[in-house]
Amino acid sequence: MGASNPLLPKIATVVDIVRETGDVNTFRVVFDDPEEMAAWNHRPGQVAFLSVFGVGEATFCLSSSPTCRDWLEFSVRRAGKVTTALHELEAGAKIGVRGPYGNSFPYEAMRAKHLLVIGGGIGLAPLRPLVNFMLAPENRKDYGKVEIIYGGRTYNDLCYKEELFRTWPETPDVAVWTTIDVAEEAWQGHVGFVPAYVEEVKPTPEDKFVVICGPPIMIKFTVKALENLGFRADQIYTTLEMRMKCGIGKCGRCNVGARFVCRDGPVFNLTELYQLPQEY
Amino acid sequence: MDSKIIKKDKLLSLLERFIAGYHVLAPVREDGMLVYRPVGIPGDVELNPGRSVLPPKGRFFPQTEILYSYRIEGEKLTLEEYVEEARQVILFGVHPCDLRSFAVLDAVFTEEPRDAYFTARRNNTIIVGVSCSSVLPECFCTAFGISPVEGNGADIHLTDIGAGAYLVEVLTPRGKELLQKFDSLFEDNVAGAEEAKRAKEASLIKKISLSVKVNDLHEKMASIFENPYWEKISRRCLGCGVCTYVCPTCHCFDIMDDGAGKAGERFRCWDSCLFREYTLHTSGHNPRHALAQRLRNRFFHKLSYNNQRYNIEGCVGCGRCVALCPVNIDIREVIGAVRGLV
Repeated sequence: MGASNPLLPKIATVVDIVRETGDVNTFRVVFDDPEEMAAWNHRPGQVAFLSVFGVGEATFCLSSSPTCRDWLEFSVRRAGKVTTALHELEAGAKIGVRGPYGNSFPYEAMRAKHLLVIGGGIGLAPLRPLVNFMLAPENRKDYGKVEIIYGGRTYNDLCYKEELFRTWPETPDVAVWTTIDVAEEAWQGHVGFVPAYVEEVKPTPEDKFVVICGPPIMIKFTVKALENLGFRADQIYTTLEMRMKCGIGKCGRCNVGARFVCRDGPVFNLTELYQLPQEY
Repeated sequence: MDSKIIKKDKLLSLLERFIAGYHVLAPVREDGMLVYRPVGIPGDVELNPGRSVLPPKGRFFPQTEILYSYRIEGEKLTLEEYVEEARQVILFGVHPCDLRSFAVLDAVFTEEPRDAYFTARRNNTIIVGVSCSSVLPECFCTAFGISPVEGNGADIHLTDIGAGAYLVEVLTPRGKELLQKFDSLFEDNVAGAEEAKRAKEASLIKKISLSVKVNDLHEKMASIFENPYWEKISRRCLGCGVCTYVCPTCHCFDIMDDGAGKAGERFRCWDSCLFREYTLHTSGHNPRHALAQRLRNRFFHKLSYNNQRYNIEGCVGCGRCVALCPVNIDIREVIGAVRGLV
C-alpha cells in the first residue's frame, strides 16, 4: 500500500511550540523525510490530521501560509484527549501528520479584490494562512487591501499577537482592528463584541470578499451586521467544523446533508450554507 | 458471457477445489444463525443460504480492522501497515441485494482518494453470487430494481434450477478464468435452463412485498426535511444502532488507538450515525444532538443523500434493519409515509 494509503500518517517532528494563550499553543511541525516536506502543498483553509500515537488522531486547520515551505503550523486549543496530549508534548516530539484535506478559501477568485477578515478567538487560525498568503511578497500585488477585525474574550485570549500588533499593521494597505470583550486595566484598545465592532468600523462591500471564523454565535450576529452593511451572501465565506475521522469522505460523520465537510468543505459561502440543512 | 450447468454433487467438488486453492468465505449455520465464515468442508456451506444476520460486506470492510501499528524506540517512531494476505479469496454465496451493496460501497471507498484497505480486499476477492430460493417477509429488493435471480456484481452466478442442477453464469473475465481451471465439472447449458431461471424469478417476485414504490421518492424527500414526522417516529427509537450494524451499505467507521506508551495499534471499527457521540464535538457542541435528527439523517442518507452524492440508491431492500429493529421501525413504512405526507 505505502504511498497510496491515505490513512497512513507521515512522521513529523514538533520543532517549536508557541504559547498563544492560556489554552492555545501553535505547534511548528517538520516532516522527518525532507521529500515529504518538499512535496507538501496546502491551500488556505485546508485541514490536516495530527496523531499522537497511543492516544489518537484529530483534525486541525493549518494555520501556516502555503508560502511557508519549511514547516507547517497548527494552533491547537486544549479541549479533549488528543489536544491535551499534544499540549503535553515538548519540542522534539514525534507525531503523525496526514492531509491536506478539503477545499479552500477561493483565493483565485479573490485576485484583485479586497479582503475583510473577521475572527474571534482561535477562529483566526484558519484565516491566518489566507492573510499571510496574500501578504507574501510574491502574491501581494495580486490582491487589494486587507482589513482584519479580530476579537477575544481578554487580551490573553488573542492569538498571533506578534502579527496582530506588529507585522500586519506595519504592512502597507493592511488595517487591523482588535477588540476584547471586557475592559482590562492595561488594555488601551477597543472593548466590545466583534459584531458590534463590525457595525462601528463600517466596512464597505464593494469589490470585497469576507472570511469569518469564530464561535457560532459571533458568526451569526456578524453576518447580520454585514448584511445590514450591504454585503451579499455570496461574498461571505466561513469554514465549518464537524467531527471527522478519515478526512477522505469515507467515515461518514462530517456530512451536512449530502455534502461531506472534509471533501466539499470546510469552506462554504453563505449562499451554499443557506441551502444546507442547519445541522452543523 | 457464457453459461453452463453444474450438478449439485459436482458443485460440492467445485467447492472442495476452491477450498484447496483459495481462502473461501461462505454462508454457514453457526448456533442457528447464518453467517459468512472461512470454510474447510464443502458440506458446511449453505448452498441456498437466505439472508445472513450480518451482511457479507465484512469481507471488504471488517467490523474491526487494524490499520497499522506504531512502535517508539528511543528517538525513532515507526509505523507498520497491515497488509492484506496475498492468497486470493472466494466469497461464495452472495444474494443479489448484497451484490448490489458492493456497488454502493465501491462508490464510497474507491472514490479518490481510494481507501487502500477496502480496495486491496476488493481486488483480491472473487465473488460467487447465488440467486434467492425463498423470500422473507421483509424483502423488498425489487423496489430498487434488483431481481432476486440476477448476479450483477458477481464474477460467477449460480441459480438452482431444480432437479439437482444449477445454472452457472460466468459474468466477468475473472470468473471465466477461475472456472476454466475446473472445466470438467461442468456440463453444457441445456435448453430450458434460462426459462427455469425466469420462472423462478416470477415466482419469487410474486412473494416480494411489491407495495414499496420509490419512483418519486427523491423529490418527496427534498421537501420533507422539516417535518414533525421525524420527531414522532424517533419517540420509539432506542438509538441502539442495530439497523446500521446489519445494513449492507452502511460504511461509517471510527478510528481509535489501542495501546499506550511505546507500542500499539491504530484500528477502525464500524460506527453508527445513531449514536450521540458520533457527531459530538470536543467543545460539547453536537450538530445532531437529538435522536430525531440522527434518525432523520439515517433515512436521508439511505433514501436521498447517497443517491445525490453517488448516483446509486443507498438502500438495497435486504430487509435486515426491518427484521432486527427492536421497536419495529420499518424503512418501508418510512418510504410510504414520506410519499404520503407531501
